[in-house]
Amino acid sequence: MAELNAVEIRQVSKIFGFGEFAFAAVDNTSVSIRQNEFFTLLGPSGCGKTTLLRLIAGFEYPTSGEILLNGEDIAAMPPFKRPINTVFQSYALFPHMTVAENIGFGLMMLGKPKREINERVDAMLKLVRMEALAGRRTSQISGGQQQRVALARALAPQPKVLLLDEPLSALDYKLRKDMQIELKRLQAETGITFIFVTHDQEEALTMSDRIAVMSSGKILQVGNPREIYDAPADRFVADFIGETNFLKGRIGSVANGIADVDTPVAGRISATVPQDFHAEGEVTVVLRPEHATLCPPDRADASQMTGTLENVVYFGTDTHYHVRLSDGETLFTLREQNKPLQVARFAAGDRVGIALEANAARVLRN
Amino acid sequence: MTDAAGTIEAEQNRNIRKRWLLSLPALLIILVAATGPLLIVLLYSFLAPGPYGDVQWLPSFDGWVGVFMEKDIFDGTFSLASAHVSIFMRSVMLSLVTTILTLLVGFPTAYFIATRPEKTRELWLFMITIPFWTNLLIRTFAILEVIRNEGLINGLLLKSGLIAKPIQMLFTDGAILTGMVYVYLPLMVLPLYASMEKLDFRLVEAGYDLYATPFRVLRKIIIPLVKPGIIAGSILVFIPALGAYVTPSILGGGKNMMLGNLIELQFGQGRNWPLGSALSITLMLIVMVALLVYVRNAGSQGSRHG
Repeated sequence: MAELNAVEIRQVSKIFGFGEFAFAAVDNTSVSIRQNEFFTLLGPSGCGKTTLLRLIAGFEYPTSGEILLNGEDIAAMPPFKRPINTVFQSYALFPHMTVAENIGFGLMMLGKPKREINERVDAMLKLVRMEALAGRRTSQISGGQQQRVALARALAPQPKVLLLDEPLSALDYKLRKDMQIELKRLQAETGITFIFVTHDQEEALTMSDRIAVMSSGKILQVGNPREIYDAPADRFVADFIGETNFLKGRIGSVANGIADVDTPVAGRISATVPQDFHAEGEVTVVLRPEHATLCPPDRADASQMTGTLENVVYFGTDTHYHVRLSDGETLFTLREQNKPLQVARFAAGDRVGIALEANAARVLRN
Repeated sequence: MTDAAGTIEAEQNRNIRKRWLLSLPALLIILVAATGPLLIVLLYSFLAPGPYGDVQWLPSFDGWVGVFMEKDIFDGTFSLASAHVSIFMRSVMLSLVTTILTLLVGFPTAYFIATRPEKTRELWLFMITIPFWTNLLIRTFAILEVIRNEGLINGLLLKSGLIAKPIQMLFTDGAILTGMVYVYLPLMVLPLYASMEKLDFRLVEAGYDLYATPFRVLRKIIIPLVKPGIIAGSILVFIPALGAYVTPSILGGGKNMMLGNLIELQFGQGRNWPLGSALSITLMLIVMVALLVYVRNAGSQGSRHG
């Protein structure tokens, strides 16, 4: 057998409440998290990702199912016995202790000798670049610094797995970007398995080795960021990750993983199909906004998709266009990267055509 | 420039005067209702006792001497008033034990209430305050009814055949302690609850997460964080317990006196108001010293963490 999975969730359910108020926060879910992986649980609020994290931490016990840590079932083990540490969303730093005391707390509870604790705390302070503030109270440091202390505190006892519960959500944009890089660095340096919970898809895509997309207590898809983005398993994943255009159509012939799909609004388009996919009749095709460009409406060779430009939104790096397609219903979003000194080619109200890049369209499973 | 500065200064003075004027009612109440009676007590302690109670307007230190010394009625020599000293010691000890017992019972109670869902907390708090609705005297007699030799407990034990003759529970220190813990428990629970309600229970989770056992979470995280509540509750219990009168007089009988009873005795049967006054002031001084020691200790412990 290959290397043991760091964490393995086997058919775990967590039901809150009783009788008619019973609610499955985690619904018969299984997932394996590999050693030294940066694994992200991604989903909207209330999807059960935090509950799953709390089950791994031991703050909740599963209603049914097994949780394995390096092959050992820990589902019934209390949190203070699990070699797993958590970075809390609110940081939960101890206000009656200094920065250094906070970082050393776990080691002290493990009964490590004082010298070892001091050495380790110093190393941790250095790792998160907080040496100068070791003696401060946690109320006397900024949000970003508190974040670093929370990280150092959770890493100090050298856990097998580090859990991070939306740790960046309280930081401002620039700090969040810095911390994303910092987290990746820490993960690489420590070699600890990170399980990261977020509702921010961009954060998930940029940081993760693999992502599990959750909704209503279930994991819908597990894969690396590229798989999740390029080959979403279903409509929810496609919709949640990035912006997506959905077009309905009838599937025609399939050859070499490419299908011809007849769509009422765009005519016949060729779309990639998932492996082992066999479907007849009505299907949904997804198109990412950045895989399409605007063109004059009479460029028949580019696309049969035409419509009226309703909205132009300038984002700095790129510009978003919202086009009302010829059926009068579908609002198609596309995104073009801005070039230096570019002059706007189209304005709201113009009739436009939409040109699709090769392999832009993909047939959704279901 | 100077004119402007002068106007600002005048304005400030006016403001200060206005503030004094507005706080005048409060100051008057403090002066008349709190300081005034105390001054009278202090004055009385330096006067001579009247023959039927009251005081004679003759300066005398007899009251203060009587606090610690007693005069032999035959030869007129002075010796240490061992009875008074032992009552002082007993009062302080019983109050300390009461405080510790209420803390031991009150802490889990307050924790229990603070960890209930928000809606049911009010109900629990309400139940804690129910004893306050009934007169202290009646509540104390209720305890007497339970623990006296012909009372509920002894009756049941006798009937069940576990004991042959009733256990003497009434008129013991244990009876006084039971009564005082019962009476003062809400005064401990309420400030403790107020602190615990503000406690961020995510910190408790963080403690568990960092390998702290439940006992260590209690010792290293919960207790340091609810310390203000522990201090407030202890003060609120210790002070009235030291001067308790009704409970020790009913449950302790005549012989197990506390300071409150001793003071009452001087103003009543003893007809020695100056001694009673001197004892009252002494009680106040003990409370003040105890408070100072306690608050300073607690304070320095708190700042050691910083």
